[in-house]
Amino acid sequence: MILKSHLQHLKKVKHRKYHKIIREMKHEGFSRKTLLYLKEYGPHTNVPRTIIRESINILIFASIISSLGGFALENIKEVFITLTPLVILLPVLNGMVGNYGTIISSRFTTLLHEGKIKSNWHKNIELNNLFAKIILISVIIAILSASVALVISNLTGTAVNITTIYKILIIAVLDMLILVFILFFVAISAGLYFFKKGEDPDNFLIPITTSIADLGNMLLLALLVMLMF
Amino acid sequence: MLIDKDFKEIISFQVLSLIGGLFAGTLLSIYTDKLLLIPGMLIILPGFMEMRGNISGSMAARLTSGMFIGVVKPNNLNVKIVKGNVFASFTLAIIVSLVLGLVAFVFNYIMLGIVVPKIILIPLIAGIFANGIEIILTLYFTFYTFNHGYNPDNIMGSFVTTTGDVTSILALLFTVMII
Repeated sequence: MILKSHLQHLKKVKHRKYHKIIREMKHEGFSRKTLLYLKEYGPHTNVPRTIIRESINILIFASIISSLGGFALENIKEVFITLTPLVILLPVLNGMVGNYGTIISSRFTTLLHEGKIKSNWHKNIELNNLFAKIILISVIIAILSASVALVISNLTGTAVNITTIYKILIIAVLDMLILVFILFFVAISAGLYFFKKGEDPDNFLIPITTSIADLGNMLLLALLVMLMF
Repeated sequence: MLIDKDFKEIISFQVLSLIGGLFAGTLLSIYTDKLLLIPGMLIILPGFMEMRGNISGSMAARLTSGMFIGVVKPNNLNVKIVKGNVFASFTLAIIVSLVLGLVAFVFNYIMLGIVVPKIILIPLIAGIFANGIEIILTLYFTFYTFNHGYNPDNIMGSFVTTTGDVTSILALLFTVMII
């Protein structure tokens, strides 16, 4: 009976106010996920309309941001398409950096929700540890993916000289390192901002960081190609 | 210690998604003359590839939450919430594909001074093909992994990224060939 009345109460709450109610109702023993799910997709709701209404703006925003990065590459297309290993690497780097954005965002919001992030967040051991891990992984994966791309390029008939090999490796590693730094900066700043505002950073950080990752990756690739070739 | 279970988990999933990306990149390099030489294609490409993760990945996450809560039954696809998710994901894919095409069309017109109407059609038709395949794959594997005792939240992210890269490039290639 208590459950029913709480859920009835929750159903009447305006969408933009649900975060605060969920925080209050956590003390009643319901998980946040259960309450949110029943509110959004429970009986008497129009499931497709709810999903489309809530996702459309952020999806269009993310697509436009990603396209902006493409403008930069489109302008140096003539040089870019002659660098076969970089063409092979393009979807890899985009995917990798997007994954780092998701990992960094979700880990940071978990630390925020657990109350482990205080004003001196830069001294947090778990956050520093995560930063060191992601940096190390990004360097390993960048070298690995660039090496495989160079081998594939060679096998498909586009051999490159030793200088180009070094340049491709440097581009892959620099691109990943710079983007991981940017993603940490964005995730921490935006995460703290939304958390202080009383919003759930989970709803914003992943789309923000993945879009910035895409945009940043294309811009950086275009810049590094212009500088090195 | 830096190299712990967490480190190994992250690096293994990154290697997994690397495979899909490399496959997609190889296709892209082989068919550069068919794909990348179309004006505006590099504008469409990042958003088009990201769409699979954003739409199918979110659908997998919503269905997984529903299964854990008990609102979605792991052996019954014919319920309002599952059908609603499929319909919404497909509709979103069509809208976003159209937006991408329009952005590339406007770029071509303003920056390059050329009118290429097929740049609107390419992502739209490819989006229908790629999402048609990806949504079915995501639906099947979300239920399959859950029914086999795994947490789809830990698996579907990499699955969608890996398969999404490949289906995106194949759908774009197929569309360019039929247009």
